Parts: sequence; structure tokens; C-alpha cells
Amino acid sequence: MSTFETLESLNGRLRGAVVDLLYRLADDDLIAGHRNSEWTGLAPILEADIAFSSMAQDEMGHALAYYQMLHALGEPDPDTLAFTRQSRDFRCASLTCLPNHHDWAFSVLRQFLYDAAETVRLTALSQSALLPLAQLATKLRSEEKYHLMHGRGWVLRLGDSTEESHQRMQAALTNLYPHALGLFEPTAADEPLAQARICPREEELRRQWESAVAPVLADAGLDLPETVQPIHGGRSGGHPEALGQLLNDLQLVHRLDPVAHW
Amino acid sequence: MMTDTQWPVFEVFHQQARGEPHVYVGSVHAPDAEMALLLAKEQYARRQACVNLWVVPADAITASAYEDADIFDRSTDKSYRESWGYKTPKTISSGDGKDSEK
Repeated sequence: MSTFETLESLNGRLRGAVVDLLYRLADDDLIAGHRNSEWTGLAPILEADIAFSSMAQDEMGHALAYYQMLHALGEPDPDTLAFTRQSRDFRCASLTCLPNHHDWAFSVLRQFLYDAAETVRLTALSQSALLPLAQLATKLRSEEKYHLMHGRGWVLRLGDSTEESHQRMQAALTNLYPHALGLFEPTAADEPLAQARICPREEELRRQWESAVAPVLADAGLDLPETVQPIHGGRSGGHPEALGQLLNDLQLVHRLDPVAHW
Repeated sequence: MMTDTQWPVFEVFHQQARGEPHVYVGSVHAPDAEMALLLAKEQYARRQACVNLWVVPADAITASAYEDADIFDRSTDKSYRESWGYKTPKTISSGDGKDSEK
């Protein structure tokens, strides 16, 4: 089986597919991290606030690592990618940009669904034939392990704690599940990435994710929606209005003075 | 004492490396011990190295009373109880007289 020792050894269609994959990984983490950071100072109790904020920083750190890899492949530098692109240029799934609406149940359930997907993906990527990506995935996986433990802990407790907490969690799950499936929206990059053993097909990752989250949701007393139509579009730049509003916040300071040095 | 309206308090002990003692670092509020461990990780182990955390329900601790702090006072010279009161050899003797202190 052939491996790719360096990013520079990628050519043509495969190189384009890797760039597509890295944009999806990076943008998911940046936008999820930004959304979660909106709880800083506002989470239900101090300890939860600190833990959630710290994990939001982790996600932004992961995004930076992917943006740096993109830069090494000839894309613009990380700050340019994060602070100057428009909504339609982003490749994140809709799950990551949905507003929190001050609903902790919604946010911890999203965190669980998202980090379960990250764990599945990073576990697969740690075996990637693209060695720099495999090394990065192995490094990022330990932080994701904690994120998953954290999300699982909250979901199991809020799912069947009180009548109100159960109802809020069930409503959040019904709302979030189709967006979560959108994390595995197929793209034209699937086939070349799978054939080169750089990343498994999205449908395969989706199956692994479903079997990872289903038992936890069942233990929490939550019911999966019976028929679900995944919400796609994010991987080709079609996003909910919420992403534009999020980017207004995220890019506000940069827009005030794009050439300022910090 | 002020009534704490939050979750129960767990005291947190942090171990920097295997074999080192667990050191008290502070407390967290949590609904149960498992969540206390999850929350303590980000409060107390996100900067310094850590291999293990303990959490202990604060109400499981029995403490002495500060008004009895005088029981710890020493009325007479007890320096013989301190290690600095003694000369210590730089090497441990193997008993055959070969590597005794110079």
C-alpha cells in the first residue's frame, strides 16, 4: 500500500481532494469553537463555563492546525482564511453554526454529537495514508477523547434527570439530528480520498458515528427521530443565515483594520 | 456559614507524575463524582502536567477545629524530632565498612 510522506507529494485531483477535506475539517472546528465560546461567562455554573470555554479553545486550535496544513498546500495563511472569507466560501456543516439561543441542553447535545463525529473521523484519519495528516489526527485525538467524555456525561444526566431537562434534550435532538447527519455530506472528494486510503468515504464514517451515538442517546432515554432527511449544502457553501451573522461577530475586529499588527 | 445553593462540593487532588503524592488543589461543584472528575480536569489540570485526579466529597472530610489549634503548639524544645537535628550520612552503609561516610 502506498503512503504519502509529505503534502508536497500530492498532485492533481488528489491534491484538490485533500484541500477540500482540510477545509471541511478546519471550518467545522473554527465555527463550532466560536459558537461554543459564546457560552463564556454565561454557562449555568462556573465549572461548566470554564470546561466549555476551554474546549472551545481546543477546537480553534485544531482549526489552526488544519489551516496551517492548507497554507502549506498553497492556500492563503490562517488569518486570511478565518477573517476574510465570506459565508459562501466556508465548508462547515450546518450543525456547527446553529445559534445557541441560551439553551444549554441544545449546546451540550450539539457538543456531544459533534465530538462523537470528530472522534470517529480522527480515529480513521490516524490511519491515513497521508502521513502528516495521520500524525496530526493522532495528536488531536486525545483532546477529543475528553470532549466526548464531557458531552456524554451531560447527555446521560440531562436526558432523564427531570421532566423539563428530558423535554429540552428531546427537542434539541429532534432539531439537531438532521444537521448532525450533514457532517457526513458526500462530496466529489470522497472517491479519490477513499481510493488513496487518505480518508474513508463519508457514508462509512456516518455508519460508525451512528453506532457510536445511538447507545448513549438510548441510555439517556432519548428517542431518535424516525425518518430523518440529512441537511446538506454546507460542504458546497450553502449555509443557514446564522453563519453570516456568526462571521459578522468573528470577523468584526479584523474588518475595522485589516492590516493592523497584533 | 453561607449556604451554598449550587451542587455539592468535591475536593480535588492532583498527581503530577506516577508515584508522586496527590496534592490538594481546590474544589469543584458537581452533581456527582464522575462529573466532578470531568469538570476538575479543566479547572485544575489544563495547565500543569497531570496523570491522575482524585475527587472526594467535601462532606466526607472530618476536620479539626481551629479553636483547638493550640494542640499543635510545642511547649518544650522538640528539635530532636526534626531531621535537621541529626547528621545524615551521604551514602548508605552496606554494612561491610567499605562505603561509610568520609
